[in-house]
Amino acid sequence: MQKKSSVSSLTQPGQRTAFDRFMWQFNQLLKIDAMNLVILVVVILIGWSIISESIPNPARYLPSPLAVVLSSVDMMVKGLLPSYFSDTLTRLVIGSAIGLAAGIPFGLLLGLNRTVADMFHPMMNFFQSVSGIAIFPIVVIWYGNSDMTVLVVILYTSFFPIAFNVLSGVREIPIRYVNAARTLGASRYQVMKDVLFPGAMPHIATGSRLSIGFAWRAVIAGEMLAGRQGLGWMIFTGQDTDSTAEVILGMVMIGLTWIILDHYLLRPIEADTIERWGLVQR
Amino acid sequence: MSALSAVSISIQRRFGRQRLRKILLGSIPFLVMIGVWHANTVFEWLPPVFIPSIGDVWEAIFFLQEDCAGFVPLIMLDNSCLMSTHILSSVGRVILAAIIGLPFGIAFGILAGMNRTVSKFLEPVGVFANSISGIAWIPLAIVWFGVGWVTTLFIMLNTIFWLMFFNSMLGVRSVARVYEQSVLTMGGSRWDVIRQVYLPGAMPSIITGMRMSMGFGWRALIAAEMIGGDSGLGFMIFTSAAEFKIEEVFLGVIVIAVIFMATDRYLLAPLEKWTVERWGLVWKPT
Amino acid sequence: MNAVSAKLVVEGLSHHYPDEYTGESVHALEDINLELYEGELVSVVGPSGCGKSTLLNILAGLLPYKVGTASVDGNIIDGPGPDRGVVFQEHAILPWRTVAKNIGHGLEIRGILKSERDRRVQEFIDLVGLTGFEDKYPHELSGGMKQRCQVARTLCSDPVVMLMDEPFAAVDAQTRITLQEELNRIAQATQKTILFITHSVDEAAFLADRCLVFSARPGQLKEIVEINIPREKRIWADMNNDPDFITARDRILKSVREEVSVAKEE
Repeated sequence: MQKKSSVSSLTQPGQRTAFDRFMWQFNQLLKIDAMNLVILVVVILIGWSIISESIPNPARYLPSPLAVVLSSVDMMVKGLLPSYFSDTLTRLVIGSAIGLAAGIPFGLLLGLNRTVADMFHPMMNFFQSVSGIAIFPIVVIWYGNSDMTVLVVILYTSFFPIAFNVLSGVREIPIRYVNAARTLGASRYQVMKDVLFPGAMPHIATGSRLSIGFAWRAVIAGEMLAGRQGLGWMIFTGQDTDSTAEVILGMVMIGLTWIILDHYLLRPIEADTIERWGLVQR
Repeated sequence: MSALSAVSISIQRRFGRQRLRKILLGSIPFLVMIGVWHANTVFEWLPPVFIPSIGDVWEAIFFLQEDCAGFVPLIMLDNSCLMSTHILSSVGRVILAAIIGLPFGIAFGILAGMNRTVSKFLEPVGVFANSISGIAWIPLAIVWFGVGWVTTLFIMLNTIFWLMFFNSMLGVRSVARVYEQSVLTMGGSRWDVIRQVYLPGAMPSIITGMRMSMGFGWRALIAAEMIGGDSGLGFMIFTSAAEFKIEEVFLGVIVIAVIFMATDRYLLAPLEKWTVERWGLVWKPT
Repeated sequence: MNAVSAKLVVEGLSHHYPDEYTGESVHALEDINLELYEGELVSVVGPSGCGKSTLLNILAGLLPYKVGTASVDGNIIDGPGPDRGVVFQEHAILPWRTVAKNIGHGLEIRGILKSERDRRVQEFIDLVGLTGFEDKYPHELSGGMKQRCQVARTLCSDPVVMLMDEPFAAVDAQTRITLQEELNRIAQATQKTILFITHSVDEAAFLADRCLVFSARPGQLKEIVEINIPREKRIWADMNNDPDFITARDRILKSVREEVSVAKEE
């Protein structure tokens, strides 16, 4: 609560959109953490360079930061890095978009009736617990080493966490809200639209972020396992061809992409949704 | 009939009517799923190379254990006892990684969280390390340690350590200053503060971190065994898939799911619940 | 009284339900007969667990019943409907809608045009004294304001009968007095037919034209107390000295007390 109010006081009241929050966080990063971040990065780079200098065969085991930068320049020139990056991101966007678009209505529909909700809750929990990576060998038998295999794994990984979360969210909505709408004459569809959907909004936001997080891991693993071009494939072949600089470059790209995606897009949206819709007093 | 109803009432009293209802209702979709699975075998909607029969999956256990000559080779992880060897080597790595990774992660996390400057400084490291998800380390681990158990253990340890580190650090930072000051004014030492303030105060966050790290670690381990391992359940399903032995793949996936669900449900979730009740704190993520 | 048509009729209503934990059958209501006439405010009091809330849930259509009949304007009740508006005990206004949007929800559900809706909503916002709070969200309101909002929402749908389930139980004593006086004013202004469930004898006697006393479980209609005080005279400052009010209240109190002691002995 404390933190929330301080956030609000720094932005214009009535303008707390996701974009404002994004800008605010961006400013915070520049203002407060910039110095720390610079020091930290410099320390890590120096330590990394020293280790790299002192081991035999650094090109194989730990290339220096400079070597990684050079390899990134090389890959940029060849146009490989942008193409891998966009391949991976496209897979993530398509896979999680379909997963969310299917998972949210599915969770709502199951939650429409309490008996049905209680019935499917354990099963959805089961499937969201089985990681998508574990079903990869099954999918690879069905579709071979294809883009379809990677897509199915991403779909699986993003569908179940969101559907499970939406279902849990709907189940947690106090029954009095549903009753109130019903006594006003609401139909099943109207109950879903006016009570269940808005009531489950915080869970939808949290579940979406979770789903996309799992999907991101699944994309990387899927590309490695199915050998489809992208960042995951880049680090995997980098290891195969002894280009360790490419492996590290890929890892840094993967880490940075997720940080930017999570901290500056998904988290603000989630926080905003919870603040806007999570006003439920229980 | 009356005996039957008496039994039913006593069962209802024992488990609670609501819980019993939920258990019974919840088992219906699983039964339907098994039914559809079996119907598929009977009517061959999808060929058995895509979906094996339940019987084949069951028999795969015995096939994989066929050459097993007894208890000694079983616990020695002999290759003749394939099924148990793969299960035990996965579970063994999980336990080993937990024994090493959890205490180290917690200790470093608490140390980092004690000092605000240090923790502010190290927070980006935690964020970044957790963002390079466990699996992205697999290729580099293979370069460093080669294909084998060291690589898979490293991946799991790496995943566990950073999640634990991050959660413990945030947990300590969330403890109100007053408690620390009150112990210090009573003449407590730094060690007293750690033991009596930081550790219990951060406990809910630490336990949540444990549950998370075991969940993510298990997933990362399976992936690591597939790509950079030479034993374990991940390795087993991956090699079986390469040989199109779909019944072994199904068996492996089911075992992976059951181990994960059982650990989470009967070990980690109760632990989390117990801690929250014991310390009377509800940890809120900031 | 009988010349006026009955709006709500309950005949021979009995109800059993299985206990949530043991599964044993609980006998909640036994042979309830009652009639509510147009413009009348009837309160129901009784010891806890006498089935007051069960009765209300049945009338609201939230609880299916098997024995007896209940009807509104001649239509048998078999589910929730806009002919019966319910004011719940807990704040059941939707947290993600503003006050105005909550109050207009019933009209929105029926597909009434926005211009017409806004006019009606404003009318009831003014009636319950929430003017100026139209665009606030429920979490920004006090407990008393939330209940005013619920009352306005119910009235705005223009139900035939308004059912109120201990609506002022969760607010503080001072607010409760204000809300009771306001409900009295609203009842007079709108001439709504209201069934008011409460465990407070004072509240029941203050608001009701007729007060129904229920017996301990199984809930039965034990006694009906008539309170013939004109609505404009019902103000707490005067009522505490009104002999009619005191007589009625004491009679209800005595009747309820007997039931409470019966319930305790069991």
